[in-house]
Amino acid sequence: MIRKTIKKEIKELFRDGRVRISIFIVLLLLGVAVWISSRQYQNTNQDYAAARLSEREVWDNQGEKNPHSAAHYGTYAFKPKYPLSLVDQGVDKYAGTSIFLEAHKRNEAQFSAATDQTGLSRFGDLTPDFILLFIMPLFIVLLGYNSFTKERELGTHSLLKSAGARGWKIVLGKWIALFLPVLAITTSLLLLAGIVLSNLPDYGVFQWSSLVAMGLVYLLYYAVFTNLVLWVSHWAKRSGISLVVSLSLWIVACLAAPKAASNIAEARHPYPTRQEFAANVLKDKEAGLDGHNPWNKEAKLLEEQVLAEHGVDSLHQLPFNFNAYRMQKGEEHEAEVYFKQYNYLKEQYQKQSGTYRSLALLSPFLPARFLSMGIAHTDYATHWDFSDAAENYRIATQKFLNDNTAQNTKYGERGYKASADFWKQLPAFDYDPPCLDKVLENNSSNLMILGMWTVLSFILLFISTKKI
Amino acid sequence: MIITNNLTKKYGDFTALDQLELSVKEGDIYCLLGANGAGKTTTINLLLGFIQPTSGSAFINQLKVEENPLETKRFLAYIPENLMLYPSLSAVENLDYFSGIGGKSLNKSQLEGFLEEAGLQSGAFHKRIESFSKGMRQKVGIAIALAKDAKVLLLDEPTSGLDPKASNEFGHLLQKLRGKGVATLMATHDLFRAKEVATHIGIMKDGHLKQQFVASDISLSQLEKTYLETMDYKTLVS
Amino acid sequence: MFRYNFKYESIALLRSKWIQILIVILLLLFGFATYNGQQKTFKRQADIIEANAEIADADRDMLKLLDSVEQGFQVSASSWTIPNAPMAVGNYHPRLASMPPSDLSFLATGQSDMFTHFVKPTASGDDLALNFTEMTSPVQLLFGSFDIAFVVIFLLPLLIIAFSYDVLSSERESGSLRLLAAQPISLYKWLFQKLGLRFFWVAVIMTLSLTLVFLLNQVAIGSNFAAFMGFLAITLAYALFWFALAFAVNLWVGSSGKNAVALLGLWVVFVLLIPAVLNQLGGTLYPMPSRGLMINDMRAIKAEATQRQDEILDNYLRDHPEYAVNDTTQKRSFWHRYMASQQLVKKELEPILIRYERQLEKQQLLLNRFTWVSPAIVVQGSLNQMAGNGNKSYKSYREQVIAFAQEWRNHFLPMLYNNQEFRSENYAQLPKFTFQRPTYQSQSSALFVVLCSALIVLGIGALRFRIYSKKEQSLVNQ
Repeated sequence: MIRKTIKKEIKELFRDGRVRISIFIVLLLLGVAVWISSRQYQNTNQDYAAARLSEREVWDNQGEKNPHSAAHYGTYAFKPKYPLSLVDQGVDKYAGTSIFLEAHKRNEAQFSAATDQTGLSRFGDLTPDFILLFIMPLFIVLLGYNSFTKERELGTHSLLKSAGARGWKIVLGKWIALFLPVLAITTSLLLLAGIVLSNLPDYGVFQWSSLVAMGLVYLLYYAVFTNLVLWVSHWAKRSGISLVVSLSLWIVACLAAPKAASNIAEARHPYPTRQEFAANVLKDKEAGLDGHNPWNKEAKLLEEQVLAEHGVDSLHQLPFNFNAYRMQKGEEHEAEVYFKQYNYLKEQYQKQSGTYRSLALLSPFLPARFLSMGIAHTDYATHWDFSDAAENYRIATQKFLNDNTAQNTKYGERGYKASADFWKQLPAFDYDPPCLDKVLENNSSNLMILGMWTVLSFILLFISTKKI
Repeated sequence: MIITNNLTKKYGDFTALDQLELSVKEGDIYCLLGANGAGKTTTINLLLGFIQPTSGSAFINQLKVEENPLETKRFLAYIPENLMLYPSLSAVENLDYFSGIGGKSLNKSQLEGFLEEAGLQSGAFHKRIESFSKGMRQKVGIAIALAKDAKVLLLDEPTSGLDPKASNEFGHLLQKLRGKGVATLMATHDLFRAKEVATHIGIMKDGHLKQQFVASDISLSQLEKTYLETMDYKTLVS
Repeated sequence: MFRYNFKYESIALLRSKWIQILIVILLLLFGFATYNGQQKTFKRQADIIEANAEIADADRDMLKLLDSVEQGFQVSASSWTIPNAPMAVGNYHPRLASMPPSDLSFLATGQSDMFTHFVKPTASGDDLALNFTEMTSPVQLLFGSFDIAFVVIFLLPLLIIAFSYDVLSSERESGSLRLLAAQPISLYKWLFQKLGLRFFWVAVIMTLSLTLVFLLNQVAIGSNFAAFMGFLAITLAYALFWFALAFAVNLWVGSSGKNAVALLGLWVVFVLLIPAVLNQLGGTLYPMPSRGLMINDMRAIKAEATQRQDEILDNYLRDHPEYAVNDTTQKRSFWHRYMASQQLVKKELEPILIRYERQLEKQQLLLNRFTWVSPAIVVQGSLNQMAGNGNKSYKSYREQVIAFAQEWRNHFLPMLYNNQEFRSENYAQLPKFTFQRPTYQSQSSALFVVLCSALIVLGIGALRFRIYSKKEQSLVNQ
């Protein structure tokens, strides 16, 4: 029974010109998107490797220099592109790609691709994720909207009923028939991406398991749409109504809800403006130790405390250069200020994520979107992780430099210069994004919401179609 | 009123209608009998100008249909097999719309008058069509023909799906129109109704008009016998 | 025929609840979008006011401090922040260079979520230190805003498609088309009138609901009447384009299902695909040089300048003999060297930075040349411009700020090199920044382009009539 229904439905689908054309167009778009993305991916990674190499060269060849001058001169952390960004670009375009690491200051990532593009870029890009997230559900709507209404309009519906067909069997048959082409397209796309990625010369961290996880997320997402479209088709009296209703579902889920969610999240948990943020940082900094200013109130306190600790009464008697020590303490205070202010940002971001999650009840698009970006390491969380890693590296670098001055100079000594080969001793910045398990764990609520959508929409479909 | 000369319609190699010679005069009711695919609906489509003849020509009121697609329609009314009107509009509104877009403005009493003449109960005048039976819809179709003052009436399977009473009523309506001098061409499977209302009867098969009678010259049983013989013609020879 | 079509089509639309649904949906969509946009505009205004107030506060403190110093009192501030040094004023008391929203800013978010609307250029900072991007969650940038532009460009066409994809085919499928075709009327005219009528209703409902929603959200329509009419005109022209497409598809395609697929396909092409492809094309033809490599260049220039600071200062003073003459002390501090080399760095950085603006300009030019390919792009550009949130506005803002930064720097340079003190009476002479909005451009060329595309599509629809003029009735049996 089920097999016959599937066979008949598939035959019907493929004999329909509009279906053949749609499949052809979707495949063509996917091919073009993968091709464009893989070129972009290679270009970006070449630039990344070149910039990283030349930056390290600049650092290593500073010559003889005071370590604190080097700290002000600073260095850069560059964000690499991850293999699965080939499939899902996520927020990469809108997040900065390089962070300036200097003394006293935590900087934000700079130079996002979107700021270097025309206003047109805000329409979106022809990337695989665009097709997977937007076009495929539309494809499901177009393929499935008349699945039941057609039978009713042609009268075959009563024929089926009189043949004693069980409701759920017919529904399952139709479901599988509608899902099969979607499954085929998705699998072939991901396979293609996997093959392209494994053949790139430096695919580094690419793992098939992530690709499979991503594929499963998309399949769940499509299952939800398949359920909803079939349910609407069963519920509607006419094909026209069914089309308009399932199309509205698509519009709400994929177009309207994300935008509305972004507006609501921003209104409820706004980020400070860049100037406000800078003002807050400045206020906190001034309240504490200033490494450059020995007359600062906190600096005096530190002086007394250190003298007491070492049981000496003059800074000259300390076994290290107090100026450099104070510099390091000031650095630590500033790091704390940034930690606090960035944590506030992070809190706002997490609250915003909470808003997105609660609105995900209106749209299966949202959890699928976030999961896919997460697995591809192109989401905002990865960006945070990267910028935290860069900050830790910055703090470690400052300590490395200040310690060198503290150990090699005496209090009051000026004009110390570290030797030219000292800079090479600084370990290079290296960042590994969280592994798949960690990503899934962080996104467990999204996973749950998507799972809930899948289960509930299945229940809805099979309960309402018990009697066909 | 209706004349066809050598009227032929081919779809590729397939001949749907072959050299049809037909003439329906004022006050005639001509019934075309035949199985599905015999060419009855093709004939009506050609008379309406919905399709173009491969060769030959059709005339309505001495005008060649092919050359005067809009002109000829002024004289004819057409009721398709499954007459669909606008379901959200009432009978009066549908009548007003269809006569109005053709350029005929009618006031309310005129509209109701035509509906009454077509035999619709007055209680249904202002009800929406969506609740109408096929018979009731056909009465509105007749009213449209009456309002148009049509000289030619083309009917495609008008009695299929009607209950005997409605079918009988429909026959009476046709007689009434005949009295007004309307030339009617009706395609049907219904031998009984054809014998009852027609002045002339033709039997078609595979695009050919095989037999023609004056209705009064033939009895119902003779008609049936001839019809079946004509239909089985092919099976007999092959 | 027109009178009857108008009357009964309207009755049918009312009875099938189409008009009511359209009113509710449009009110909801426009209402939410306008409310959102206005909230953003208000926040932007409030932020600027707050930032200005902060500066006014800081200025009051600075003048107090300056007064104490001038009176010869001991002050308890770090020596390098005392405002009698011109560089202290130039660095620690910058002015606000803000870009206030226009009255119609709510129409289109444009680039306003990505770029900041106020910066404070300091005397010692270089142009690269001016960060014009705003702190926004990239998720927000990815998803975009629910603004009027989104409703008009993305959703309105979908509403129109749902409203008109089966105008002809549903009549064919239900059978009423055969009855209509038997009337002495032209089916083309009939279809044209039917769609025209639907366009009329959409236009009326849109105009009324937009006006109502704007008034409820305190939009100053009165003082922006020309712009408001321009907005309505371009929106209606865009709606007309989609109705024209529906007309052509109804004539050329066939069954309801196929029409729907064709129209949605066209929607994907015009609204999503063409903009994405053009954007990609711009990026491929005029690629942005790598920002990473730019950083490397910049650092090389700066490192070199730092090494040669003394030499640079000497050269600088040779080029500016006026400074040395007026100053008797000949004192040279860190700032003297720094500012001189900074001027050099700026000069050397300029060609590097300008490459980015040039490439962006080239991309924009390419885009301008092909914008007509999709009315969605034309409308987006036009709405962004009306809202004052387009690329053009932000480019102009960047240029004005960079010019102002130079003016600010130049204001302090003579004082620095002449070793003059900054005094209370100099306060009033500090340069101020006022954003000069690019003058409002009439949107008639955009309107013209959209109307032309609508006419072309109508023409393509009517072409079927020319090709099959004898077989008009073939529409019936398709």
